[in-house]
Amino acid sequence: MMLSILLLIPFLGALLFLLLPSQLAPTRMRSIAIVVLVLQLLWSIRLLFAFDLELPGMQLQESFSWVERLGLRYELGIDGLSLPLVLLNAALTLVAAVCTRELSERPRLYFALILLISFAVNGAFVANNLLFFLIFYELELIPLWLLILIWGGTQRVYAATKFLLFTAISGVLILAAFLGLAFINGSVDFSLSPLVTERIGMGSQLILLGCLLVGFGIKIPLVPFHSWLPDAHTQASTPVSVLLAGVLLKLGTYGLLRFGLGMFPDAWAVLAPAMAIWAAISVLYGSLAAIAQRDMKRMVAFSSVGHMGYVLLAAAAATPVALMGAVFQMVSHGLISALLFLLVGVVYRKTGTRDLEVLRGLLNPELGLPFTGTLMILGVMASAGLPGMAGFISEFLVFRGSIQIYPLATLLSMVGSGLTAVYFLLLINRAFFGRLAITPVEDPEIQKRLDVQLAPVAPRETIPALALAIAVIALGLIPAGLGGISDAATGAMAQLFSGAG
Amino acid sequence: MPIIPSELVSFAEVPSALDLKAKLLANQTLLAESETHVIEVVDVLKSYGEVLDAYSKNLIYQAESQFLVPFPLFKYLNGDKSLAKIWRHLCHDRINFEYAEYCMKAMLWHGTGGMDAYFDSDAFIENIAAIIEVKRRDPLLGLLHPLFPQFLPELIRTAATTHALGQFWRVMSDLFIDLADAEADKRVCSISDVVDFMKAGLVAAAGNPISYGVVIDNKHFWVLPPEAGLTFLADVAVPYVEAVFLRGTPFLGTVSFNAQAQQISPDQAQFCYGALYADPLPTMGAGIPPSLLMQDMYRHLPKRLDLLYQNRTRGEGDVRVKICRSFQKSMFCVTNAAIAGTFPHGLAGTTADQLAADEAYAHAWAQRLSQGRTDCLAV
Amino acid sequence: MQPDLPLSIQYVWLIPLYGFSGMFLSLPWAAGWFKRQGPRPAAYLNLIMTLLGVIHGSLVLQQILQIGAQHLQFDWFGVGDMNLQIGFELSLTNLAALEFVTAMSLLGQVFALGYLDKEWSLARFYALVGFFEGAMAGVVLSSNLFFSFFLLEMLTLSTYLLVGFWYAQPLVVTAARDAFLTKRVGDVLLLMGMVALSAWAGSLEFNDLYEWSATATASGALSPLAGSLIGLGLIAGPMGKCAQFPMHLWLDEAMEGPNPASILRNSAVVTCGALVLLKVMPLLRFSPLAVNVLLVVGTISAIGGALVAIAQVDLKRAFSYGTSSYLGLVFIAIALQQPAVALLLLFAHGLAKALIFMGVGSVICTTNCQDLTELGGLGARMPATTSAFLVAGAGLTGLFPLGCFWCFGLLVQALLPSHPFLAAVVLSTNLLTAFNLVRVYRQVFLDTPHPKTRRAPEVGWLMALPMVSLSVMVLLLPLVFQRLNPVPGLAAINTSSVALVVASGALGVMAGSLVRLDRFWSRSVLKPLRAVQDLLAYDFYTDKLYRATIVRLVAGFADLTNRFDQEVVTGLANRLGGLSMQGAQGLKLAVSGQMQTYVLTAVLAIVLLLASLVWSMG
Repeated sequence: MMLSILLLIPFLGALLFLLLPSQLAPTRMRSIAIVVLVLQLLWSIRLLFAFDLELPGMQLQESFSWVERLGLRYELGIDGLSLPLVLLNAALTLVAAVCTRELSERPRLYFALILLISFAVNGAFVANNLLFFLIFYELELIPLWLLILIWGGTQRVYAATKFLLFTAISGVLILAAFLGLAFINGSVDFSLSPLVTERIGMGSQLILLGCLLVGFGIKIPLVPFHSWLPDAHTQASTPVSVLLAGVLLKLGTYGLLRFGLGMFPDAWAVLAPAMAIWAAISVLYGSLAAIAQRDMKRMVAFSSVGHMGYVLLAAAAATPVALMGAVFQMVSHGLISALLFLLVGVVYRKTGTRDLEVLRGLLNPELGLPFTGTLMILGVMASAGLPGMAGFISEFLVFRGSIQIYPLATLLSMVGSGLTAVYFLLLINRAFFGRLAITPVEDPEIQKRLDVQLAPVAPRETIPALALAIAVIALGLIPAGLGGISDAATGAMAQLFSGAG
Repeated sequence: MPIIPSELVSFAEVPSALDLKAKLLANQTLLAESETHVIEVVDVLKSYGEVLDAYSKNLIYQAESQFLVPFPLFKYLNGDKSLAKIWRHLCHDRINFEYAEYCMKAMLWHGTGGMDAYFDSDAFIENIAAIIEVKRRDPLLGLLHPLFPQFLPELIRTAATTHALGQFWRVMSDLFIDLADAEADKRVCSISDVVDFMKAGLVAAAGNPISYGVVIDNKHFWVLPPEAGLTFLADVAVPYVEAVFLRGTPFLGTVSFNAQAQQISPDQAQFCYGALYADPLPTMGAGIPPSLLMQDMYRHLPKRLDLLYQNRTRGEGDVRVKICRSFQKSMFCVTNAAIAGTFPHGLAGTTADQLAADEAYAHAWAQRLSQGRTDCLAV
Repeated sequence: MQPDLPLSIQYVWLIPLYGFSGMFLSLPWAAGWFKRQGPRPAAYLNLIMTLLGVIHGSLVLQQILQIGAQHLQFDWFGVGDMNLQIGFELSLTNLAALEFVTAMSLLGQVFALGYLDKEWSLARFYALVGFFEGAMAGVVLSSNLFFSFFLLEMLTLSTYLLVGFWYAQPLVVTAARDAFLTKRVGDVLLLMGMVALSAWAGSLEFNDLYEWSATATASGALSPLAGSLIGLGLIAGPMGKCAQFPMHLWLDEAMEGPNPASILRNSAVVTCGALVLLKVMPLLRFSPLAVNVLLVVGTISAIGGALVAIAQVDLKRAFSYGTSSYLGLVFIAIALQQPAVALLLLFAHGLAKALIFMGVGSVICTTNCQDLTELGGLGARMPATTSAFLVAGAGLTGLFPLGCFWCFGLLVQALLPSHPFLAAVVLSTNLLTAFNLVRVYRQVFLDTPHPKTRRAPEVGWLMALPMVSLSVMVLLLPLVFQRLNPVPGLAAINTSSVALVVASGALGVMAGSLVRLDRFWSRSVLKPLRAVQDLLAYDFYTDKLYRATIVRLVAGFADLTNRFDQEVVTGLANRLGGLSMQGAQGLKLAVSGQMQTYVLTAVLAIVLLLASLVWSMG
């Protein structure tokens, strides 16, 4: 029942919000949401203790018949691949709730939707049945769409619609793949096992896997299906961006690993070389596009495109080290991009802009945002893969695991890692170094006499970011913790693949 | 994309040199009259007075008791070597005397005025020859002096500047604290009262003699003897204003020292890094030496000014930048008083020549000041 | 780990941690938690931690002298066939380097207390220096490539932050960026090499790698091409760290940073980089190409750096290019399998260069100026600084029997029979360096006082004391050399090598004393000569070259990608979704309406869709 309780906590929380009187103060609602999310986090940690690190397969399984005719079973289970992501989801949803501030519009709906997302994401990670997964996968879409649509920026309608369209297509493709599987098999067995695909011919397998690849590729997102992400990020509010980058993108890579690699190991081996190149293109494309951005949030969004490409590279290589790298990269990208979005959010809230042509000198100790700036330096360095922080060990594992199989793609991805340093250094140097200013450089004489008054950053505004920063360093210095959780599962998955390929 | 809320950025008008000159000639204050200005100027000068008191005492102590001491470990303790004081010193719970030394070095380095000229005179060389003769008994100095003949004279000049600055700040400290008392007694109620008060104080002290002697082995030696005829205003105050208010030294935190970049003028007279020119925005940042002074004044901030600051902008968060801004205003007042006190004919000339001389004087000052941070004067 | 080892060795892992803990101890002050107190306690705490590091290092060194070299390693993280470890190789070389690094750090920090006495961000500076020192101490002791890389990258980061210390100064902004990116290029290439080695060789312990490389090419486990590429990757990291051509630009710009950091950077950091190269060197037997590249790079850096140094008008830059130049010689020595000479040269250069930078710092502190043309006549006034400069100059050139003299002698003797050209490179570097030192000395210390040097008292004891102590160390260095066991006897240098070294040094000194300084700086009327002057003064226009090539390339690609993204990818997406976009306009109305009903409809629609699809299947 442990996993059901994990799902019940946010679900009941969301229901609770619908029952709350709407005139309740937003801050009170925020506190309630935080309590629910703390409960969820504690329960997720509780799962960690119930989890047996030695076992490779699904644990804490629950299975009930639901709509047997459709092959839809209430099947839950968790393994070393999903557990870190469940923990990440719990942590980042809490962060998103904590960093929600100045919410004036429909707080009740807002927090209900946040909880609903957390519920759906948890469900997708622990679902042990294809259709059941898909229900959760689709379920997460609506609340996020609404979160962008209602609480977004000026272009929110465009961004939200684009998001909805892309992810709906993604869902349809995945559904098509699953249904196709059932159709070819002639049975409605939607259980999660490579046995299901064993008797299918290679041609059909390739088509099904191709559908999955594009479907999840939209979500990850991979170039050229990424177009929705920068727009969604720039229009979404900070907490939504944190959720989107930190958790929701991981659904794509998780799905790819779980259903692509996990169920079609033979076809995977055929498509893997192309995937590796695709990953390298995605990495380089995201990095290069990020260099040209002047909106800080778009820059971080494009960096996400690049950094999620590493996961695809690792998945393509599918060696034990690479798959461990994939898990690490998912977790560390979740933490780091959440951290960066939080900090960009602080800058935006205080200065009213994210334009790199305009912001300068924010490190100013008395009038600027020095603590935010310090954390930002830490965040971008982590993202650029500086050792001692989570990004480095993740990238190292990915590269180390992939280089023997796909040397060229790996080397190109490493170039992408070098480019990360370029654009993030530009961000730091432009926005945080120099004399404090939030105006375009026009007349240097006027510029040096301009007085700038920014609202101070209260310590509580940076606490979530500080917590994430500590997590990033902890993961970078003591990777063995996360490694222990995932070792058995990634090892088994790699074995499955090498047995097939 | 940028939509910058207008309340976040402000730009104050910069008065032209002509405006400044007109104000100087009309005997108006450069700083606009307002109630908050009076509070800012008087209170910031009060805390400055308290800080200067500490600086002055320490500089005089250093010049007299730490004269040519090779390892002046306790030079900031004013002779009090109690454990409690040393502990507080180690915790850096103290006045930043480094800033006083910084001003002294700037004054020595820019080398203007009568004292600097006296440093190169034969009389000075003779005076210190006697001191060096005694000091050479120390074996190390005995070895170094013949090899580096300018080493000891240069250190003695430093000590002399240190002492002279100590004497100057003694007077200024008393003046600023008197000003605060006068304001408390309602004798001073406006900015023009403040300027007049300071002008009177400066004029009264103008002729004070500056002298400096050291005691070595119970024998007294003159470094700056009274017969050198050095006086307060012409030989210390004016060079001080020149070196610290106007010229200053480039801050490592804002100016590149790279010779190829040529950001620093080879001519010291062209320097514009002084207190009247410095940008208050980066205060407390890296490489901004006046931060030390702002910190010291922050520790001595009067209640009334503190309350005023608490209600403005970031409150406690950017208090030291606000101190810097107020300090700049008050320094314009001091400069204003000094100019008013040194008009060739005190603006009371009758002949055309006298009027022209005063006008030329005002013109020269207005030209120089107009390059400064005069945008602080209006608001 | 053997339990019978002395405690100081068992706890050797603490040594890098002293520096890092200094950083953590400084944080409260650096973050400004003490509003009324100043930042100095952070400096004192860092000094104490560094002192602990020095003492611990000396203890270990003494133990090692008695019981011989030791190897310690701790598991860090393992997955599958990969096992990453933290390893310490406690050899005499590494510990000598450790002593050097920690001692430099200690002296540099005392010096900084004087140099930065009016710096309010002192705590941040010391925190960064602590970080810097911790990383350096780890690099020199490290026994495996992974751990070395880990710490080298930390060095890159701390260099960035130290150069960027005065972040509000416009030139610092670009300098910090370039320092980071240049080193990062080297690091990424090193990472490529390391990842490849890790995958093919399994272990990253240097000793295992040496064994593996001995057989790798012979057994066909490594193709010659892969070997060459890995070799190039491995040398790229040290090249960046040691400011070797073509990655030398950052050191010039890094001179915008605080001088105490420059002291460390020009002595200790480059030494760390070269030590990593020394450790990597035995691996390069599978990559003759990399060895040749080392030789070429070393030669260009040695001669080019020395030439460019001569044309500098900036006091700091006149010597920072010398660093590239000397490290070029170290690279040559390493490439030609002369590790002992390379080490001696590293230490001799490091000590003397640190000393010269202390002298430079005290000149800047006193005169607020680092333009050579505006300096002069300081010799009679500043005894500690002048003697420091003279001692350091003597230690750097091969003319007086101090550190570099013996190194040059050994190097020339070793190179003369087989590589006369490289011996000539060494001698010309010596000549040019001597020339440069003499001309700077004449300009700064002799000459008549200029306006900015008219009033120039000697610096306070906090700066003078480290300077004098280091002068003594430079003077005593030959005695230390003599006591070092593995070095071929210094007396064994043949007279012809000595004569060549002395002759080149003397020639440089003579030329430096004769050149007319007043004319030297004015641009020549002869067009070709003027072009050469400018070429050298602007470092062969390397920055312009970079801007025209690699920067432009990356910026161009970035721009292209961005335009492609906006016009093709986004445009296509928009057109495909055009119909739905129109629908979006309709949605806008819906948003303002009944949200709850809308959600319900949407959820219902999806469930219905699912159900109907599944139904049709079933």
